Amino acid sequence: MSVEEFQPRIIGFLCNWCSYAGADMAGTSRMTYPSNVRIIRLPCSGRVNPMIIFKAFQQGADGVMVSGCHPGDCHYVDGNYYARRRLAMLEPFLEYLGIEKGRFQLEWVSASEGKKWSQVVARFTDTVKSLGPRGKI
Amino acid sequence: MTSFITKTSLKTWLGTLLKDNTLVAPAAAAGLTFFRPVEKIEDIAFDFTNTALSPKSWFFPQTETLSGEIAGNGHKTLNPEALEKNAVLFGIRPCDARGLAVTDKVFLITPGDTSYIERRQRTTLVGVACLEERAECFCTRMGSSPNSPADVDILLTEDGDGYLVQVMTKKGQTLSAGAGQQQSDKAVPPIVPTKPPARLPLKSAGPSPDMDYWDQSIADRCIHCNICAFVCPTCYCFDTFDIEKEGKVERLRSWYTCQSPNFERIEGYMADAPKGVRMRHRFYHKLPLFPEQLGSGYAACTGCGRCVVSCPVNIDIREIMDDVEKFRASVGEEKAPQA
Amino acid sequence: MDDKITLAVREKAKELLEQKVVDCFIGYEKATDNLTSRPLFVYKPEQAERLVFDNTCVHNLSKYLLNKKDTKTAVVAKPCDARAIVVLLNENQVQREKIYIIGIVCPGVVDSRWGSAGTEPEVRCQGCPQHTPPLYDFLIGEPTDEVEQDAYTDVTAMEEMGDADREAFWKEQFQRCIRCYACRNVCPGCYCPVCFVDLKEPLWAGIRVAPGENWMWNNIRAFHLLGRCIDCNGCQRVCPVNIPLMLLNRKLKKEVAQAFAFIPGMDPKALAPLATFKKEELAEPSK
Repeated sequence: MSVEEFQPRIIGFLCNWCSYAGADMAGTSRMTYPSNVRIIRLPCSGRVNPMIIFKAFQQGADGVMVSGCHPGDCHYVDGNYYARRRLAMLEPFLEYLGIEKGRFQLEWVSASEGKKWSQVVARFTDTVKSLGPRGKI
Repeated sequence: MTSFITKTSLKTWLGTLLKDNTLVAPAAAAGLTFFRPVEKIEDIAFDFTNTALSPKSWFFPQTETLSGEIAGNGHKTLNPEALEKNAVLFGIRPCDARGLAVTDKVFLITPGDTSYIERRQRTTLVGVACLEERAECFCTRMGSSPNSPADVDILLTEDGDGYLVQVMTKKGQTLSAGAGQQQSDKAVPPIVPTKPPARLPLKSAGPSPDMDYWDQSIADRCIHCNICAFVCPTCYCFDTFDIEKEGKVERLRSWYTCQSPNFERIEGYMADAPKGVRMRHRFYHKLPLFPEQLGSGYAACTGCGRCVVSCPVNIDIREIMDDVEKFRASVGEEKAPQA
Repeated sequence: MDDKITLAVREKAKELLEQKVVDCFIGYEKATDNLTSRPLFVYKPEQAERLVFDNTCVHNLSKYLLNKKDTKTAVVAKPCDARAIVVLLNENQVQREKIYIIGIVCPGVVDSRWGSAGTEPEVRCQGCPQHTPPLYDFLIGEPTDEVEQDAYTDVTAMEEMGDADREAFWKEQFQRCIRCYACRNVCPGCYCPVCFVDLKEPLWAGIRVAPGENWMWNNIRAFHLLGRCIDCNGCQRVCPVNIPLMLLNRKLKKEVAQAFAFIPGMDPKALAPLATFKKEELAEPSK
């Protein structure tokens, strides 16, 4: 990896029950994926208040991803259904503010999907890399 | 002594001032005008009536860093932001200049507010007299005047294709040395006379018989936004706050207002007071209390009319003055002693 | 026509106050410039003569119902104001039996500020979806069923700009913000006892008036009104530095209408779109 290459700073908000375990799974299975995602563990994707995402972008995150249990699998029965609606509205709004499409992503990754997690991160990191650095607001 | 400067030479003069000074002048944005440091003379809006916000933000910025870089070594420094260059505030209206006289009373009391003193001493005020009175103006009622030169360093009065120049202070003399004005035998128009100032409210503190008026006619309507205080040239309340930034602590201060519900929680003075008390306090402080406490001889309202225009629910200080005067008469108090 | 509405409002106010149906009547009176209008609280029948209604009655009076929760209150409501009352009912902020709504079949209001009555219709009136209030106890004017489609031309124009241009546009707008919070305080949807922006811990947006903090404040304010903003233009009207806040609110309104076929303020029994969900919708998150 060359030193000059732009390394995006990505914040990942992961649900404790599925995606965090999924990321763990990727690790214990010794899968490699870009280390650009800084993971913040939350009890549920339903905990993701859009304010957190605004704050991340304000503080200079190049990309933000939210990941939780697949719809129907939520540990708290329906937390991710609420998250889905909320974040589906957030995505076009961020774009409307001038934050390019692709800098924010919502993904469903279960505890057994270590492979999917590594693929998702690799793809997202590539996208953000191609969009370039953002900087603080 | 009167002199005259043509509009062209005024622009040239301002252009030369730009080299060594920060020039703060009214500039247009979003259909309004705002005082802000300009980079070229073309940015200045010469035909403005008055700006949406008062020029106090140049001397008392809405947010400023007070102090407290607590760096890794544990040292704390008082660190008011010093001005890079001297400044010229062009286009200030006499009402806003009076506003500065009001904030001076507060910030210049010994030991004084370091950053305000710095900005005030290094800024020369070039005022422009008002030729027309707008619907919201009432400076004559507040002891000021649309062409009063009292609070500025230089006052310009538009006359044909130029301005009559009145140099009021030494600072003004120094600044206007290279202005290229000619001697003129034209006299400056006489100062528009002022009317006797209003008195308000009935009693200084505590329960007062006019409380119903404040509760039912004023407070019901008020939505407790901060507009009136933030557009006001004289409101000077602020809140301080510490934030952590990149491993250091910074102490900030920001404008604050007695109309914000949080204000009472912090200040305690009006904690849990009904809205009417808060409203009454605002007008009471502006009119009788300020001159009483600081011996200014003028009220902390200059009659610029910004709050009248900007208030979303039309709380009009002139109407309040009239109403309270009527109320005074109705309870048999004819003439209160003049302050 | 305006005079007819004024007389009807006065008559009704007098009647309601005399018969003690309500203790307080919230309407409009002429402002001190004699051109525009301002809110008026009437407590005694004889004060009803001060009431007026014309095309400068821009304020959304439903906000005041939140201060009058214990008093039986009548309020003059244009369709947009009535939608706000519906939202407040949706969210259990007011009790239906405590309020009496004087609905007005609205001809539209003009863009007015103190000192100038204006002639151009306000932003909200240009895409107004309805002219008859969705909820009322007493209606002034002839009800119409017409529901116009909102074209969202203002939002579409923004969407067609490039990302960088849009970011620059909002930066330019937000840097004027003086954080007076009038947009919040005038909004019937903003009734939190402690607003996120006043919290010191966690510090969502600091007290510093600077680009980042202003960006946080304006965006989160708009987002908190997602599926709740009833398009009354109050925030944009009161803004002392002319920030086009309705462009934010209307973008979200458009998204909500497209994704969930929901327009806030139409049905007193409805749930806000973010307070509910369907299992089968929004199939897969975007790739």
